[in-house]
Amino acid sequence: MILNNALYKHHGYLKGIFLALKVTIMTMFYNLFKIKKRMTLNYPEETYQYSGRMKGLHVLTLKDDGSLRCTSCMLCATNCPADCIHIVAAEDKDPHVEKAPVSFEIELLRCVFCGFCEEACPVDAIRLTNQYEMSGYAESEWLVDEKFLSKRPSLNSGTGILSLVNDSNRFKLPANMDFHETLMVKPK
Amino acid sequence: MSDQKLVKLKWNNTEISAPENSNLLKAALDNGIEVAHYCYHPGLSVAGVCRMCNVEQEGVPRPYLSCNATVKEGMNVTNTTPKIKEMVEWALQMHLVNHPLDCPICDQAGECGLQDYYMKYGGYDSSMVDQKVHKIKVKDIGRNVMLDAERCILCSRCVRFTSEVTGTHELGILNRGDHAEITVNENLNNDYAQNLVDICPVGALTSTDFRFKQRVWYLQNVETTCIGCETGCSVRVDYNKTGAYRVKPVYDSTVNSYWMCDHGRNTYKHVSSVDRVLEPLKNKDGMFLETTVQDVLGTLKNKKLKFIFNTQMTNEELSGYLKFAGKSAQDFTFYQLQNGSGPAFDGILKRSNQNININGLTDVLTKANLAQTLQAGHLDEFIKNLKSDDVVVVVVPEFNLKEDHFSTLLQKIKNVKTKVGLTTNNSFDCLTKFDYLLPAPTFLEKEGTLFNYNKTARKLHKGKMFIKEDYNLSSYLQLLG
Repeated sequence: MILNNALYKHHGYLKGIFLALKVTIMTMFYNLFKIKKRMTLNYPEETYQYSGRMKGLHVLTLKDDGSLRCTSCMLCATNCPADCIHIVAAEDKDPHVEKAPVSFEIELLRCVFCGFCEEACPVDAIRLTNQYEMSGYAESEWLVDEKFLSKRPSLNSGTGILSLVNDSNRFKLPANMDFHETLMVKPK
Repeated sequence: MSDQKLVKLKWNNTEISAPENSNLLKAALDNGIEVAHYCYHPGLSVAGVCRMCNVEQEGVPRPYLSCNATVKEGMNVTNTTPKIKEMVEWALQMHLVNHPLDCPICDQAGECGLQDYYMKYGGYDSSMVDQKVHKIKVKDIGRNVMLDAERCILCSRCVRFTSEVTGTHELGILNRGDHAEITVNENLNNDYAQNLVDICPVGALTSTDFRFKQRVWYLQNVETTCIGCETGCSVRVDYNKTGAYRVKPVYDSTVNSYWMCDHGRNTYKHVSSVDRVLEPLKNKDGMFLETTVQDVLGTLKNKKLKFIFNTQMTNEELSGYLKFAGKSAQDFTFYQLQNGSGPAFDGILKRSNQNININGLTDVLTKANLAQTLQAGHLDEFIKNLKSDDVVVVVVPEFNLKEDHFSTLLQKIKNVKTKVGLTTNNSFDCLTKFDYLLPAPTFLEKEGTLFNYNKTARKLHKGKMFIKEDYNLSSYLQLLG
């Protein structure tokens, strides 16, 4: 079916084809000769580094002694619109800690990555990182526990943990110190 | 109180009436007027230490504490003036000077007086610049009560409770000023210790039983009756979809006032415990396997059913049974629980008789002319008359059951071929003597009436069903036809 009979008669078949593919062909030659400037990436060999503010896979921060910062106050679970955080609290050995989670699970398939948990947390224990690559077959692979959330190999260029956050660098940052230097994920 | 003369007074320009010479703060609270207070508790004496309930009265030069004043005809008091609001804010700020602010890990968060009044009257930025005074934290002071002296605001409710209600004097306040703190003379040793957790307006006294199980904002509650003993206190059971979590007293002037005993606080435990019978079970060589109601009832059809009830069933359950099946005293009898430990009545609330609804059942049976079934010898006579091809249905008591005593009953009926247990929990080894176990509702899962020790009707109210809706005695009887 010829949509615009007047144009077809004016340009003919072959010229019409080239006119229609003008942008496509231009982009093809642009990408061929200016390969560094093209928009797409050779994923997965190349990956895009999102900013630290991106809301991706969660991480649980740790204290200096390697234990979870989380006090299991359940504010994240209360604030969660998807109801995907499940915490079981228990008495901690250390009387100064008092309450700590024995299990902290997030159903990633349910999570909407809104970051409300991060905002609700009074002790900076949960954060959303800029990790966005997630895959899995079984549903059980999407139910992640506190071990995965706090210490996974992919974190912080392979060191396994995000960063140790103690109370001194939470509350008393020197005025000249960049907030991102201490708190955010270091770029790969 | 009721024989006292009612007088009229004005509180915040609304006219209320209260008995003459009664407590001024209580008059306001009873009439739904909000007055900030920590130390005043209607069940205890007046202390006047929290300084929160100040009011101004027309014709009186200075504000005064309403908890320490009495009602007089024609008073015009108000607690909404800017002056009073400022006083409350300053009182609150003083209370919070040494408060550790560990709300995230505090069980009281969500029902804490400090949180409530800060949101209502506070809202200031703290002007405290010095180091906070640190005190004892996480100290188990016995009887399932945990003390955190840092969170305490020294309202002295707990001290007054142990000296006035229980008379055991375990707690006191030592030292002065900033260093004043609740001290434990000896570990708590009374049967009412958990009330301290209820009356503590902050998180200083928390229950080790409830500790860290749930946040309070996840809980719903239902007001029902305690099934711990025949006193039948009004209680509130807190539960959510995962289970029941705690029992708290509800004010009831006729029975329990503001308190309840520690024994009654365990009544929630079997409701959602792991040994709860959720589906019908079939005994296979000592192991219980899940089966269906139709399967169990199919084997019982056209057989002579004999029932052994217990004294914890409600009036409605018994009259339902009488309507469907029981017309003769040969068909059913009652298993009576042993008395609990302690004296028959401990002087406050607790009674040792644990046949909680024996008065109600007597009432129902007397109307049906079957009262002899409740008499002491009837059970033995009933067992003697059992034939081996009968089917015995035992309704197992849901609470206060002692295994030794109950297993002797099962020993007596061992000659009967088919034994069916209607039980809430599969908690004892002796229950393996049953051939079938059918699930039964707990007190949280049924509506009903109990008559307590002085024959007052006490209501059970339904909270949440943890088993299927139709798993109860009357629907089983209906299915049997």
